[in-house]
Amino acid sequence: MKILVVDDSATMRRIIINHLKQAGYSDIVEASNGVEALSRMSGIELVLTDWNMPVMDGLSLVKEIRHNPNFSSVPIIMITTEGAKEEVLEALRNGVNDYIVKPFTKQIILEKIEAVVG
Amino acid sequence: MDVRYINPFINSLINTLKMMMDLDAVAATPFVKDNSKTSGDITGVIGFAEKKIMGSVALSFPEKAALMLFEGMTGEATDEINRDVEDCIGEVANIVAGGAKTEMAGQGLSFNISVPSVVVGQNHSIRHKAETPVIVIPFSVKDETFVMEVTMKLTD
Repeated sequence: MKILVVDDSATMRRIIINHLKQAGYSDIVEASNGVEALSRMSGIELVLTDWNMPVMDGLSLVKEIRHNPNFSSVPIIMITTEGAKEEVLEALRNGVNDYIVKPFTKQIILEKIEAVVG
Repeated sequence: MDVRYINPFINSLINTLKMMMDLDAVAATPFVKDNSKTSGDITGVIGFAEKKIMGSVALSFPEKAALMLFEGMTGEATDEINRDVEDCIGEVANIVAGGAKTEMAGQGLSFNISVPSVVVGQNHSIRHKAETPVIVIPFSVKDETFVMEVTMKLTD
């Protein structure tokens, strides 16, 4: 499975990618904002994205993906510090499949991925 | 400052270090800061604001503590503060502020948080967003210590 990890923090990308690799996912692409992510969507089967990023934020990225017929069905999990109920609902309304609030453990990420791509 | 508004930051920091690094942070007695200097070699700062509140939180680490956190977060060791460590400290500050934001939203006090900024160097100064007393909470993790500074101004 080809996974796109989108976060403006290199540390957070590194943590998520380490967790994915330890679980056997090896085909991983990185992006530091929504614009970079859109340019790297070819062949992507799962997107893990932050919300607050410069250039293009995660919510805008989700909207772009959902409105692009080439990628509209790709599962998206948002991983963010935005944990208030209204924000979770807004993300889900805009097409996010699942939602992880930072901080998280490796187990939480892997369980959410399994639930989404099953 | 009302302790109800400090506890979410303490809770969030302890939770962040436990979940992301499996580290147990222990808070010591808070005190009021009497100058603008920080105690650490690297500090991550985040401002927060909304109609009813304005303030900032800073996490200031001695070099050894920062390197320990970096290794705990990424699983990779380094022997000096570099751009990767700076990014890591900024992200820790971001997660801590985000956790506090979520808890305080549950108390009816909402705010937005800024992008983190990171300052490196011995005896550096931090200018907090609100001109109100700065509460310093010392923490210990394993054999290392660091501080969290929180200040906020509430308006009706």
